[in-house]
Amino acid sequence: MKRFISRPGAVGAAGPPDDQPGVTARPDDGRAITAEPDIGTAGRINGRPSPGRPRWRARAVPFWFLIPALALYGFVVIWPSLQGAAFSLTDWDGLSPTKDFVGLANFRELWSDDVARGAVRQTIIIAIAVTIIQNGFGLLLALGVNTQIRSRNLLRVLLFAPAVITPVITAFLWRHLLAPTGAVNDVLGAVGLGALQRDWLGNPDLALWSVVAVIVWQFAGLSMVIFLAGLQSIPREIYEAAAIDGTGPIRRFWYVVRPMLAPAITINLVLSMIGGLKLFDQVWVMTGGGPGRATETLSTLLYKEAFQFGAFGYSIALAIVLTAFVAVLASVQYGFLRRQEESAQ
Amino acid sequence: MRNQRRFVTAAVAATTMVLAACGGDADSDETTEGTGAEGNQADAPAGEDGADLSGTLTLSGTASDRPAVEAVIELFEAEYPDVTVETTFADTEPYQATLRTQLTSGTAPDVFFAWPGNGNPGAVQVLAPNGFLRDLGDRPWADSVPEGMHAVTDVDGTRYLLPMAFSGIGAIYNQAAMDEIGAAAPETWDEVLTLCQTAQDAGKVAFALGNQTNWVTQLINYALAATNVYGADENFVDSMAAGDATFAGSDWVGTMEQYMQMNDAGCFQSDPLGTSYETTIDMVATGDALAVVQGTWAIALLAEQAPDGEFRLAALPATNDPNETVMPGAPSGTFAVNAEPAEPDLALAFIDFMATPEAMNTFAETGGSLPAIPNDQYEVDPALEELIEFQSAGRTVPFMDQLWPNPRVQEAHLTGVQEIFAGETSIGDVLQTMDEAYAKGQ
Repeated sequence: MKRFISRPGAVGAAGPPDDQPGVTARPDDGRAITAEPDIGTAGRINGRPSPGRPRWRARAVPFWFLIPALALYGFVVIWPSLQGAAFSLTDWDGLSPTKDFVGLANFRELWSDDVARGAVRQTIIIAIAVTIIQNGFGLLLALGVNTQIRSRNLLRVLLFAPAVITPVITAFLWRHLLAPTGAVNDVLGAVGLGALQRDWLGNPDLALWSVVAVIVWQFAGLSMVIFLAGLQSIPREIYEAAAIDGTGPIRRFWYVVRPMLAPAITINLVLSMIGGLKLFDQVWVMTGGGPGRATETLSTLLYKEAFQFGAFGYSIALAIVLTAFVAVLASVQYGFLRRQEESAQ
Repeated sequence: MRNQRRFVTAAVAATTMVLAACGGDADSDETTEGTGAEGNQADAPAGEDGADLSGTLTLSGTASDRPAVEAVIELFEAEYPDVTVETTFADTEPYQATLRTQLTSGTAPDVFFAWPGNGNPGAVQVLAPNGFLRDLGDRPWADSVPEGMHAVTDVDGTRYLLPMAFSGIGAIYNQAAMDEIGAAAPETWDEVLTLCQTAQDAGKVAFALGNQTNWVTQLINYALAATNVYGADENFVDSMAAGDATFAGSDWVGTMEQYMQMNDAGCFQSDPLGTSYETTIDMVATGDALAVVQGTWAIALLAEQAPDGEFRLAALPATNDPNETVMPGAPSGTFAVNAEPAEPDLALAFIDFMATPEAMNTFAETGGSLPAIPNDQYEVDPALEELIEFQSAGRTVPFMDQLWPNPRVQEAHLTGVQEIFAGETSIGDVLQTMDEAYAKGQ
């Protein structure tokens, strides 16, 4: 079982030095053992310039194969989006055939509008809170069901189940559960925790966190599944080797599991950040942005501005700000996580 | 399912329609090219063909009017067996969004619901100036629309809406619960506060309040402001429009203070901000709460939940002189005709049919309201006796938002009330925000 750890040395000793160690190691060693380490090195070979690359280039598809798909995408997505974005420079009300060019007035109004700034703040709080809490729970759940406990398959299904329900439906459900006389408060009262009973969605200080809690409840299972997939691709030998080297569970997680999980962490963090930023359905159903404006997000605000007030120009300006947020935050986050991933390898 | 079946019928009907309109043989197997029924049908005087009309009429309305509209459609289809009415219903917000999109893209239904007055994106005074609505001034019923409604059915003197019903806002009492604690509906402001105390002593809630649902937040203010502001000064609306009156400088302040006084006096259940409209209906239906301040539309819901219950609408008094009390009352179920309907004859035939006493009474009875154009065939629902009294005595004022120039005033009001209940803002600030929104105009 020490064979994996000592493999580099073994390669050097067993065969002539070669620039493709993973390949030449194979004939020398036992098959079961060398097949596993190849999984770990595969990413490294594709991720960096390496001898494998010229072969890949030879098989590359000509770029003009992309043209039909790009043309369709451009026609259906890019062009209408640009066209729509142009409306943010007008005062169009969504109804009248005429509109006036107003330059950047909508963006200036957005900047000075307390409601819009509040929405930006709430949106960011939700996105960050959901990202951290949902993935924290997701990871713990994944570690939990990745053990040998007997009911692990059932647990995996149950924990993932909320993620397959339409968010609007879970939101309606939770709106009832979190009502002052709803099930949550009833349960708290029944187990003697009456002092913890709250007006979960009616208290402006709590409402935002109640919304976050519902989203975490729903999507922690999704994070769990992605983490679980990552965990299951970690070869058993690594755990065993780490155990033999005498690492405790925490150090083993930090130094062995976490680096191997890096791709799963990236996917989860980026997905939940984007999901948190564009959050609409749960907020809309549970609080409608209220009480007052306590849970207004950029998405609910832009919906209201467009479809309730007919301020299409302004709401498109909001949408552009939201898009910019998603693009900037997601790419910064992604870049950071990629570096983490690479350094982990 | 139902719409799908109708669609199939509609498709069959549509192919034979042109032939029928030309006086051709409707049973013929010939298919007709194109969709152009318009040219041929334009000559036929609408409504006079009676049962000869055929085709598919499209209609859309809000979900709350659905039972009433469907009852009328049933009558219409019985009278015009060759006509199929294809309907779409949606809740307020999606309805507003869909209707506006359909209107701008030319795909709106032939007949559709539009809000009376102004103050919301689907209101007649927003839609008509863009040329989307047909002038209904030439219809036989146009002159019988009661004068008190003209301010919200007309735009610049042109009639665009047929009001089907008359709704009011007041306190809807559960009679059994009231009898149980030996209370009577209050007629003065002091009696309102006394009722709150009596209810609390009996372990009940006097008024269920569902302020989580944002449109509910405004109703108590409307009920009180009707007397305090709009009843006390008949010219208040005009003064505001002229810029001579403001919310913050009027008795809206006293109105909101009374709202909070009710809150302080324990008139409402705890946590109104976490309570939804549906929950309050439950509370009144079961008798846990004595009453809810709501519109007439809630009566039908209450009756559905408690079929044996007896519910009565009464004005919510704001002063200690019962003679001063005024109720908010406004046309509802207001329908417009598309300026360019796909089926002009059917659209007009349908709107004319809706104006008949038979259709109007059916609409009112199903929807728990009064017929908008009074007629002697209507049997008064005892729940609505007080509203009829107020209506015939001219002691009603339109719903306030119907006379506001843009939807932001109402939005400022709704979020403002929630923030006041959350202790985050003051009455003065909310009214000032409403004034600012009002000042933005159309």
